[in-house]
Amino acid sequence: MNNFFIGILVFLASGLLACAFKGENKLKAAGTAAAIGSVLCAAPAFWVLFNNVNLGYALNFNPLFKTVEFALNPLSAFFVIVICVMSLMGVIYSNGYLKPYLQKAKNINSHIIFLTLLIASMLLVVTCTNALMFLIFWEIMSLSSFFLVIFESDKKEVLGAGIKYLVFMHISVIFIILAFAICAITSGAYDFSGFTLALGENKEIAGIVFALAFIGFGTKAGFVPFHNWLPDAHPAAPSHVSAIMSGVMIKTGIYGILRMLSICGTPSKAIAYTVLIISLISAIYGVLYAITQHDLKRLLAYHSIENIGIIGTGIGVGMLGMCYNQPLVSALGFGGGILHILNHSIFKELLFLSAGGVYLKTHTRNIEILGGLIKTMPYSAVLFLIGSVAICALPPFNGFISEFLIYFGMLKGLLINDFFALIALIFAIAALALVGTMAVLCFTKAFSIIFLGMPRSENAQMPKDDVEKSMLFPMGFLAVLALLIGVFPQYILKYVLEAASTVSGLNYASSFECCDLMSTISFCALGFILFTLVLLFIKTKFSNKVQLHNTWGCGYDRGNSRMQYSASSYASPFLSMLRPLFKKVFDIEKPKQLFPKSAHFSLHIDDIEEAYILKPLVKFDEWFLSKFEAMQSGNIQSYIKYGLIFLVLIIIGCLFIG
Amino acid sequence: MGLKILNLIIVLFLPFLMLGVIKKTKAFWGGRYGASVFQPLWDFIKLMKKDFVISKTTSGVFKIAPVIILSSTLFAALFVPLVASSAIITIPAGFILFAYILSLSKFFSLISAMDTGSSFEGMGASREACFTTIVEPAFFMLLASVMALCGNFTFDSLGKIIQNSGGYGVLICIFAILVLFIMILTEGSRVPVDDPATHLELTMIHEVMILDNSAADLAIISWASGIKMLLLSSLIAAIVIPQGLSLGISALLYIALMFLISVVIGTIESATARIRMSHVFEFVFVMSSFALVVLSLVVARMFGG
Repeated sequence: MNNFFIGILVFLASGLLACAFKGENKLKAAGTAAAIGSVLCAAPAFWVLFNNVNLGYALNFNPLFKTVEFALNPLSAFFVIVICVMSLMGVIYSNGYLKPYLQKAKNINSHIIFLTLLIASMLLVVTCTNALMFLIFWEIMSLSSFFLVIFESDKKEVLGAGIKYLVFMHISVIFIILAFAICAITSGAYDFSGFTLALGENKEIAGIVFALAFIGFGTKAGFVPFHNWLPDAHPAAPSHVSAIMSGVMIKTGIYGILRMLSICGTPSKAIAYTVLIISLISAIYGVLYAITQHDLKRLLAYHSIENIGIIGTGIGVGMLGMCYNQPLVSALGFGGGILHILNHSIFKELLFLSAGGVYLKTHTRNIEILGGLIKTMPYSAVLFLIGSVAICALPPFNGFISEFLIYFGMLKGLLINDFFALIALIFAIAALALVGTMAVLCFTKAFSIIFLGMPRSENAQMPKDDVEKSMLFPMGFLAVLALLIGVFPQYILKYVLEAASTVSGLNYASSFECCDLMSTISFCALGFILFTLVLLFIKTKFSNKVQLHNTWGCGYDRGNSRMQYSASSYASPFLSMLRPLFKKVFDIEKPKQLFPKSAHFSLHIDDIEEAYILKPLVKFDEWFLSKFEAMQSGNIQSYIKYGLIFLVLIIIGCLFIG
Repeated sequence: MGLKILNLIIVLFLPFLMLGVIKKTKAFWGGRYGASVFQPLWDFIKLMKKDFVISKTTSGVFKIAPVIILSSTLFAALFVPLVASSAIITIPAGFILFAYILSLSKFFSLISAMDTGSSFEGMGASREACFTTIVEPAFFMLLASVMALCGNFTFDSLGKIIQNSGGYGVLICIFAILVLFIMILTEGSRVPVDDPATHLELTMIHEVMILDNSAADLAIISWASGIKMLLLSSLIAAIVIPQGLSLGISALLYIALMFLISVVIGTIESATARIRMSHVFEFVFVMSSFALVVLSLVVARMFGG
């Protein structure tokens, strides 16, 4: 455990260290230090997982906090490993990504400091077991990521997105504080083990605490309807930051939910069903809006909501398993959910990093004007393709394994022989299948519009070569990881189940039979890959002569890039089926006169929650607050008067209550 | 082992015959003599020998996609019960692997279509992707319901519907078959969803996606889509053909059923026109409502007393 804290210190120091260097060496120094820090932090975590033990460490703080305990149990260890690996990849990637910004004399120093601060605070959040310190680390995490989001603060929309993020995070933290406060009042302690004892006796309060915590942590994780900050903040941030945020930081919200679950004990059925339903809605909502998006990073951000929904579905199934006392169902549900945390962070980070490469080379995130990039950026294209196949949960990649576990948990849950469970789970299975196919639609759209076909604009012709090696390396590493987990799931499942059993407190030793199933799947996946390679070999070896020609254009020979199918038209048949679920904003200028000069058509789809709930709410708020404008006179005397009135009111209040 | 080899041979060759029988049926209803039922096989061999014509716009994706489509379809075949309701590999929840591996083949057929930069192929791809979003949930709902009824998560439960569902057995079977049949029509791109014999690019779905594929690529893709049709038809066979018959009889019954399904498809193609594109979705949606019927029957059986 000492190593862990040294690692944290290394992370904190690396930011300051980087300031001492100049130019590109800054990033190299930060990268090296982050690598050392990651190894130091991850080593004890691996040790904990391999030996299935708990590590504890007590730090003696000042009289206010007394002793603060840090613990590495399998669940925390799992998160520590995810955070270390993914953050390290993000930092390495930033070496290449930030180079153009170095020349623009951006404030790289503060960026690196906040980046390392974010990583360190995330590591502390998942290990701290004292509620007060947890909240402090949580706040450091939110604030440092806020400063990372507004890196390009000279752009107005970036600042807007950053402020929205800040507001959402602070609303969420209110709920977390409330939940912890209730725990602290019932238990009279501030550490999680005290909470567990107190809430174990009082199921009703445990339910309220879990509901509050779910709202608070769910906002961080991005569950619908608390997701609205996500699609704005991710595109605003630099790509490696969005990768870390989407890949790792929002998972701390999931960690919070899992932690609260282990504190609150077996949930009531109502809560379990609510979590399942909210998760499924998030999954469908996320992928649905992802299909509507043409901004690549916004699209990926909506997919984060989808995947958080899938993770939540796993957790919901696990909770149902706990309610109905079905250890196997809960093992599969939690196991699938927790494995999906790792899987999602792998492929989502991969996708965000390759999206960053595309942005760096083409200076646009609008996929409608891209196309044909596979010819100039082949490595990025292949890596993006691997990420896409993995995120669509297609075998033989890792996404399939976790979704398979969740499906299998739901199928096992069908045997519970309970009316509600049967109906809910069958609909959940159908919904997950729907999400999977919609993801296929979305990523065939994204991949083919960006990388395939002909370039749709000058932007798409800008890249002359692929991104540099320091950016390709992390992507390649993640792609290999995605394939390895997909092909050899049996080796990792054991450790995932350890983490899962920390959550539910059940012993999942009997569930290791799933590992046998995983070995079969692994065998199948290997066979599949081998078979495909053999076929490919045969095809390339014995191929007939190839003649190049234009694409078939119905007899016309001069097809150009503007005649290609666009992203909007690709999504159109599907979206037209679901018309009521969107707010479409058309911007049309029809051709006029005999010889029309200008005409255009564009379609923008608004988030329905933002359009019909948040915007009216903000409008009302502005209207309401404008009534008090008169108070702000700018006259210092009147401000003193307000202070005085306020003081008098408080004194009167104290007199009445006291 | 012998059964497995028999199954493998059936997967590889029966699709050609099924396509041939469909064509023959259409010829019969059209008053023509028609080509031999082996014609699709001869076409396949001929295409394999031809030279490729490939679009300049395409990339490596276009070249590897047919291989992945074929390998994943063949791989999916390993999990499906064929003759004597026995799959080559039986694993619990195998239908998920089956569906997702078919999704992989669809993923690559979609991006290979988009790789040509043709507006027609994009159109086909977008329609195909859209149909899948309707088909797959219904398929999952059907299988999950049946598996809940039988308490068994392999494809075997399809054959155990009758013995597990008392008076509801026949109804459940009928609706399950209807769901699977609409799925065959949609995924196999047959009339009334799609017309494989049409000559107008604007109205095609599957055919338009492979406009630019030629020679071996075209042969492979057509073969793979035939195999897919066979696999889905085999699920109907798993419901209909009773288990526990001798191998010879069940193999005969199976092949006869495959031909029967082909004849029915051919007859539908001769009797009806394809539905207007804007109404096709409504037709495919019928599948979901039938799947819901199966679910409600299962619930009625399990909790209705």
